[in-house]
Amino acid sequence: MNPAPAMTLAQTSLMAIFQAVAVVIFIFIVVPLTTFAERKVLGYLQDRLGATRVAGHRIGLTGALNRGMWKLGKVPFLSALRGLPMFIGDIIKLLVKEDIIPDKADRAIFIIAPALSMIASVVVFAAISFYPGALFTFPKAFPVLGGLPFTGFITDMNVGLLFILGIASVGVYGIVLGAWASNSKYPLLGGLRSAAQIVSYEVPLTLSLLAPVILTGTLNFNEMTRKLATEMPLVAMPLLVVSFLLYLTCGFAETNRMPFDMPEAENELVAGFHTEYSGMKFGFFYLAEYINMIVVSALATSFFLGGPFLLPFGLHKFVMHVPYLGAPNAIWFVLKIIFLLFTFIWVRGTIPRYRYDQIMSVAWKYLIPFTLIVVVVASVIHYAA
Amino acid sequence: MKKFLKTLFPIDIAKGLKLTGTHFLKVLGTANRRKVKMHVTQEYPEVPVKLAPRFRGRLTMLKDEQGEIKCVCCLACEKICPTQVITIESGKKEGRKTKLPTRYDFEMERCIFCEFCVESCGFDSIILNHQFELAAYNREDFSIGMLGSQNMFDLTPAGKFSYSDED
Repeated sequence: MNPAPAMTLAQTSLMAIFQAVAVVIFIFIVVPLTTFAERKVLGYLQDRLGATRVAGHRIGLTGALNRGMWKLGKVPFLSALRGLPMFIGDIIKLLVKEDIIPDKADRAIFIIAPALSMIASVVVFAAISFYPGALFTFPKAFPVLGGLPFTGFITDMNVGLLFILGIASVGVYGIVLGAWASNSKYPLLGGLRSAAQIVSYEVPLTLSLLAPVILTGTLNFNEMTRKLATEMPLVAMPLLVVSFLLYLTCGFAETNRMPFDMPEAENELVAGFHTEYSGMKFGFFYLAEYINMIVVSALATSFFLGGPFLLPFGLHKFVMHVPYLGAPNAIWFVLKIIFLLFTFIWVRGTIPRYRYDQIMSVAWKYLIPFTLIVVVVASVIHYAA
Repeated sequence: MKKFLKTLFPIDIAKGLKLTGTHFLKVLGTANRRKVKMHVTQEYPEVPVKLAPRFRGRLTMLKDEQGEIKCVCCLACEKICPTQVITIESGKKEGRKTKLPTRYDFEMERCIFCEFCVESCGFDSIILNHQFELAAYNREDFSIGMLGSQNMFDLTPAGKFSYSDED
């Protein structure tokens, strides 16, 4: 890693603002595409086609395309992407829809809750590293920023992992407060379930991340990624694979995704904690869920799939000196995130929802003992190697 | 113990993921092709829809090879109809042994397409055809008799809304 040149506080904060904007742009590109991918992939998994037309058959752009192509006797051009403009429709709908606050709701908390949920999931990106080092350097001709590097991470904290875990667990407050402030039965039940579930799964989630921490001996995000990809002994590989699967399971539970989506069990609780929300407030919850998916994928990618390095689990040291493939690349990172997002949807299309007591027993009876064993084995490997 | 091991090693989950994954790849590979089709979606308004052979559409009367109405006015369909949408008046015709309907009214607005009438018919003189674009703007369009453009022997003319009407 090339050390950053000495920067003044003003330059550093300006750079951080630029990077934060870049991250937000990244999020707002990936999230709508994920919602589209969710429709499409779920459809394909179930032998359907998913979204194929937008804004009606008659007047819609894709409707016209569909009609014209079928009249020519052909499958429409780029048939898989016909439903893509639907995410624009989603955004317009969320922005334009009437924002209703129930009479008996606790107004202030009702408004704060979705923002809290959203902020907690976005702030995590402050500590996530897309690339260890400078992505590019601003040319000297630039007025203020000339010669400054645009790094692939916003901050390089000593305790990056702790920061991430701490902020990520704030997200549950958004759900619980929103549920309580709605002053309605279904949201409250959903919120309570969510609180119990997320508190339970926080434990194995953190414990499953403890194995990499023990093996690397650091909490710094960049260091951990680099050491896990390049310096791990091969003995640790099965352990890291197990750890990865455990982390992913807990990640599904943390993001309230399908096998564990107790908070919004549609057939039992209408829509769970966001039953009373509409318009952009609901949109924030919706966004937060998808951003949480990206966060969990990013963490899994960096710690278990090698992050910006090509090969995970310490295998990267064999391709270290190959040109291009050996060097870390932000593209690998993004590709791995995309693969994990696909996995999220894949699992949603495959596994039906657990019962509530089953979810709890999986967390306390299986995952926590298992992660504890993993931690013990990790310590043994660390001291033996 | 077996259950414990099953919970410990998610073999069933892996099997399920494999199954849906293969379906995903199959549909992904053939979604853009016209001949091979792995998905079950029918892109209805643009592509003519393929219906199951036993699809229950609108009630239709059949004629035999000589162009004679097959119905003999046994009133079985009228009696069995749960919503009582069929009204039959019988008459006579020279050179025909059995009776002949002079009036066969079918009020489609109340029909529930249960196919009891067809099942009860001992002479195979009525069927439910495969027409399903039956919506109309006027109530009168649902009263189907033996005469007029909306009759029991032909298909209902498609309404103005219909996509298949477009060409």
